[in-house]
Amino acid sequence: MTDIRVYITGTGLITPVARGVPETKASIMNGARGIGPLTLFPVPRDRSLPVGEINELFEIDGLPRTHQFALIAAEEAMADSKDAPDAIVIGGTTGGMALTEKHLKRGDTSRDLFKYHATGSVAEYLAAKLKCKGPVITVSTACSSGTAAIKVALEMLREGKAKNVLVGGADSLCRLTYYGFNALQLIDPAGARPLDINRRGMTVSEGAGMLLLEGKDKAPDNAMAEILGAGLSCDAYHPSSPDPEGTGALAAMRAAIKDGGISPSEIDYVNLHGTGTIDNDLSEARALDRLFAEDKPLLSSVKGAFGHSLAAAGAIEAVISAMSISDNFVPGNAGCNTPDPELRLNPVIEPIERDIQTILSNSFGFGGNNASVVIGRPEEERASISSQGPPHLAVVGCACITGAGKTRMTEKTVSEGRSCKGILPIRDVSRDLSLKTVRRLKRLSRLALSLAIAAHKDSGESDDPNSLFFGTGWGPLSETYDFLTKLYESEEHFTSPTDFIGSVHNAPAGLIAIQFRATGPNITTTGGDYSFEQSLMAASLLTKGRDDLILVVGADESHEILSGLFDDSVSGDQTPSDGGGALCLRRADTSVGLRLFPAFFEYSKDNPSIILSLIDNLGGPDRIKSKYGALFAGIPGSHRDTGRNQLSQFLASSGFEGPVIDYRRFTGEFASASAVAAVLAICFAREGKIPEALCGRKSSSLNGKGILIIGLGKFVTAVEVIT
Amino acid sequence: MINLIDELRVKIIDTLNLEDIVPDDIGEEDQLVGGELGLDSIDVLELVMMIEKDYSVRIDNKELGAEVFANLKALAKYIQKKSPGLSN
Repeated sequence: MTDIRVYITGTGLITPVARGVPETKASIMNGARGIGPLTLFPVPRDRSLPVGEINELFEIDGLPRTHQFALIAAEEAMADSKDAPDAIVIGGTTGGMALTEKHLKRGDTSRDLFKYHATGSVAEYLAAKLKCKGPVITVSTACSSGTAAIKVALEMLREGKAKNVLVGGADSLCRLTYYGFNALQLIDPAGARPLDINRRGMTVSEGAGMLLLEGKDKAPDNAMAEILGAGLSCDAYHPSSPDPEGTGALAAMRAAIKDGGISPSEIDYVNLHGTGTIDNDLSEARALDRLFAEDKPLLSSVKGAFGHSLAAAGAIEAVISAMSISDNFVPGNAGCNTPDPELRLNPVIEPIERDIQTILSNSFGFGGNNASVVIGRPEEERASISSQGPPHLAVVGCACITGAGKTRMTEKTVSEGRSCKGILPIRDVSRDLSLKTVRRLKRLSRLALSLAIAAHKDSGESDDPNSLFFGTGWGPLSETYDFLTKLYESEEHFTSPTDFIGSVHNAPAGLIAIQFRATGPNITTTGGDYSFEQSLMAASLLTKGRDDLILVVGADESHEILSGLFDDSVSGDQTPSDGGGALCLRRADTSVGLRLFPAFFEYSKDNPSIILSLIDNLGGPDRIKSKYGALFAGIPGSHRDTGRNQLSQFLASSGFEGPVIDYRRFTGEFASASAVAAVLAICFAREGKIPEALCGRKSSSLNGKGILIIGLGKFVTAVEVIT
Repeated sequence: MINLIDELRVKIIDTLNLEDIVPDDIGEEDQLVGGELGLDSIDVLELVMMIEKDYSVRIDNKELGAEVFANLKALAKYIQKKSPGLSN
């Protein structure tokens, strides 16, 4: 651990309240509210509810609103920075969903129309625009995404993996969330009134908040505020309702305060999650009661003015918190007239001028995913924080599912040089799960849950996994499709609350948490073919200093209609395939036994030296030849030519001569095929040899060496399996 | 009323994908939520949607859920009273 501290040196905002950071401050001080009628898409009269809509936009060349918001806020945050950010971490839930809904409703089938659908495409779009080489990571933990993204960025900077990171969140209004939250009866028809005695729910809104974070040993002159610490937790209680006692929320707040090296009494102001739903506000109030007892700091929720912009909310509120510190004010709790006495909170109703040193900002979401961040004044003298722990991620268990079956069948099939493409029937996927467990679960959740349970069983560990990481390229496609289909069939009157809850990318990870009562960090990442690698990177960054059991799962489902529309690699293969892999890991000091290390993650665009950078990062040609006995190469079908060229360059420049396994030829095309590759690599490394059918004329023995798994195409990634 | 109760038994099983349950398993006065059927708040919202769609009866879960979804009989009674398509 270094003495690196993390400063906010740039901020950007676009919200229904204002566009731009100075404008937002003026609007906050004027008590402006950005809540009004929806104009973005037509809704039946009896389904009309207030929203927080940004009115000045625009549809440009098929670019979704989310991407536009993200770029507007990012450019503002980067305005004083000459260089591209080293990395981008974005919280997102809906990505290009608003546009996708429009095209699906019309029955459009041109794949080009869906090129910005993916939640991860927002971060990738920013990387292309800002010429960021990466890593580029998308955190999708529903309403806590923006704050969880800050935690990932913070650890990346503390670890010295980047010198500056653009971090934030962006989401736009769309039918899925508008009708989804309505189906859950979580919308206040009068507009959100957080903490009010008559509150009836939230207001869905949209926007983006971005922060440029810099890792330095002391505060730069342009630092607005410092990120002192951040904490994550999972309720492991219910897919969509918060734990009524606020236990998970309390754990996230405590973790953030501890991470910041301060005590609760040092918090001057709490920027609440405060959505305005009856249950959220009550749960958060109980957590605050447990944390601060009678000595509560100033507190308010800005969601009565800004609405709840889902993944953007945490980032927007972090920007507002940074402004509060630099400009000495506390935002008011718009919408609250009479604080609910049951909450035992005394919110700041009108904005006030106040010298604020330290702020705690909360974000909680579906899946029980909680994130809190502590932001402080930059010039404060503080002791540096050290959470140094065992450096290695030891592999203690693994499992996979492919068209050929589960782990043993997949390993056997591939070992014979045969393909395991295809789709395992759903009853076989969830054969070991009870009817009660799977009643409401569609394909992706069943895949992920089965994988998690099997990997834990394979580990033989007596304790349950507690830290969870899930990577998925496309999220729950069945729920998304079924939700929209039911909506359209009923002329936008009816839909399924169950499908809405199941449609969020982090729903499977929330279910795994409930299964294992896993209350530690719980992060879902998404980014096409590199989603599993992102989750490994998140696991590596967020588990240091922890001794609990870690699960990293990568899975994607094949959907008859959506997979082919969204994923160009899928549409190019005649055999639809899906599945995934799960790894059970534990932090270990030992340098014996199987270990895993996510070693590289860069964006190929405008990055001609990417393969040389990969080789350099792996320690150069000599280390590559001495460390790895085999190479697993992941070349997505849609980037076959690019990937092949990258592979040739890697082999030529590194001099690597061992067997090369082009694994998608066996697994088929699906975004998280690399999770299957990781499991196969672990199986082969345990045996100390690569099956002869995969080696051609090359030696099958690993001679004690490990295996390198590289991802090629749009991004280049590397994961080391070391023995 | 008896017909409505029988109809609701089938619709509940169908809507909530209760694969291991047959209509006769749901007694008129059995507790629907939190009872042996294992239904929770999400299931209630799913039923709210079904009831509005099939019977044009809107139910505010927060205000009425506990009362209306107490058991099958209470649910049928409420639908009977409120549905424009059903006579008293």
